[in-house]
Amino acid sequence: MERRVQGDNTKKIIWLIIWFSVFLMGADGGDLNGEERGKLLKQQKQLSTRIETLKREQEFLVFQRTMYASDSKYIIINSSAKTGRLKYKNRVLKDFHIKLVSGRASRLTRGALTLTQKIEGAKGSKLLVFNKSLVLQGKNAPSAKIEAGMPRFSLSKKDFRSVYYAIEPGAKVYIIF
Amino acid sequence: MDEGQLMKKMRCEGRGTRDKGREIATTSCPSRSIIRYLSMAALPLRLRVSAVVPFYMVLLFSLSWAGDTSQPVPIEKLRSDVQSLQGQAAQLDEENKGLRNMLRDMGDDELYLVVDTESNRLEMRQGKTIVLTAKVGTGSRQFVKEDRGRSWYFESPMGSLTVLGRERNPVWIRPDWSYVEENMPIPPRNDPDRFVPDVLGKFAILLGNGYKIHGTKWKNLLGTHFTHGCVSLGDDDLEIVYKSVKNGTKVYIY
Repeated sequence: MERRVQGDNTKKIIWLIIWFSVFLMGADGGDLNGEERGKLLKQQKQLSTRIETLKREQEFLVFQRTMYASDSKYIIINSSAKTGRLKYKNRVLKDFHIKLVSGRASRLTRGALTLTQKIEGAKGSKLLVFNKSLVLQGKNAPSAKIEAGMPRFSLSKKDFRSVYYAIEPGAKVYIIF
Repeated sequence: MDEGQLMKKMRCEGRGTRDKGREIATTSCPSRSIIRYLSMAALPLRLRVSAVVPFYMVLLFSLSWAGDTSQPVPIEKLRSDVQSLQGQAAQLDEENKGLRNMLRDMGDDELYLVVDTESNRLEMRQGKTIVLTAKVGTGSRQFVKEDRGRSWYFESPMGSLTVLGRERNPVWIRPDWSYVEENMPIPPRNDPDRFVPDVLGKFAILLGNGYKIHGTKWKNLLGTHFTHGCVSLGDDDLEIVYKSVKNGTKVYIY
C-alpha cells in the first residue's frame, strides 16, 4: 500500500516537472527584447512588402521609359479596372474597356508580354495572342482553339478592329492590376 | 486466442489486477511499457524517487535551454536586416522618383490629334484630356488604275505626322487621278481647270505630301472611308481644330 502511494507521488512529481518545463519554455518569448523583436519583425514584414511594391513600380516605370524611346505602339491593360490604353510614346491613342470572356484572370501575371500572333479566322474572326498568356478579341468573336485556361478579354468590335490593325507582332502589352 | 492471451489483453486494457497487470504490461502492452520504462520501474522505490526527479529536472531544463538556442534570428541580426531593408527601400524610392521625373520631362502637355482610321474618329487630346471627338472621313482603300499603267491606292498616311502649315479658304488643285477616276482627259499641269475653290471647306491643315485635314461637301459620308487619303471633317469641328493646332502640332494616324 505504502509502495503504491509513493509510486503515485513519483508520477505526480514527474508531471509537475513536465508542466514546469513547458511553462519555462513558454516564458522563453517573454525576454527583455521581446517587445523590440516584435516591432522589428513587423517592420521587416512591412519593409519587404514596400520593397516589392517599389520594385513593381520601377519595372513599370522602366517599361514606360523604354516605350517612350521606341517607335512602336503598345498597350497597357489594367485588369482590375477592366480598361486598356493604346499608346504611342508618351501619347494616348485610344482608351477602351475590356471584359473577361473565358479563362482565369488569376493566370495573368503583372508585367510585359509580347504580341506573338495575329490570328485571322475563316469567318473574319480576329485574335491577338500574347505569349500564350493573354488573348484579346472582339465582342462575340467565334471561339478559336487556344490553350485552355488562357485569359481571354474582349473589346467592343470597333475598338478591337482599331487595336488589331494598330499593332504588329512584337508589340508589347503591359499588365497592371 | 487461448485463456492466457485473453487475460493479457484484458489486463493491458486496465481490466486485470494491478500487480499482475504490471508484470504482463512490461512484456506485451506498449503504452504501459513506455510509462514503466520512463518512471524507471525496475529501480528500487527509494532510488527511483531520488534518481527520477533530478534526472527529469536536468533533462527538461536542458530542453528549455535547447529551445533558447533554436530562436529564429538573434535580435542584432534582426536590427541589421531591418536597417538594410530600410536602405534598400530608400534607394528604390529615390530611383523611382528619378524615373518619374524623367518620364515627366519626356512627356508634355501639348495638344495633339489622333486619327483612328478603323473607326473614322478624330480625337484632339491635351495631356490625358480629350478636348474634342469628331467623325472623320479617311482614305477609301480603293485602287484607281490608268490605261497607261499608273495606279493609285487611296489610303490615309499612317504614323506620326506633324502640322506643317494651315490655310484659310483652301483651293483644291485637282491631281491626275481625279481625271482618271472620272474618265476625263488629263489637262496640263497649270491648266485653270485644275484649280477648284470651295470643295475643301473653309480651312485646311497641311500634313505634307499633299495630305491635309480639311472640310468636305459630303458630310453624310463622315464616319466612313471615302476620301482619297486626306482626313475630312465637318465644318464646326474643322474650325475648332484649325484654331487649336499650330505648326509643329503632332498628328497620329493609325
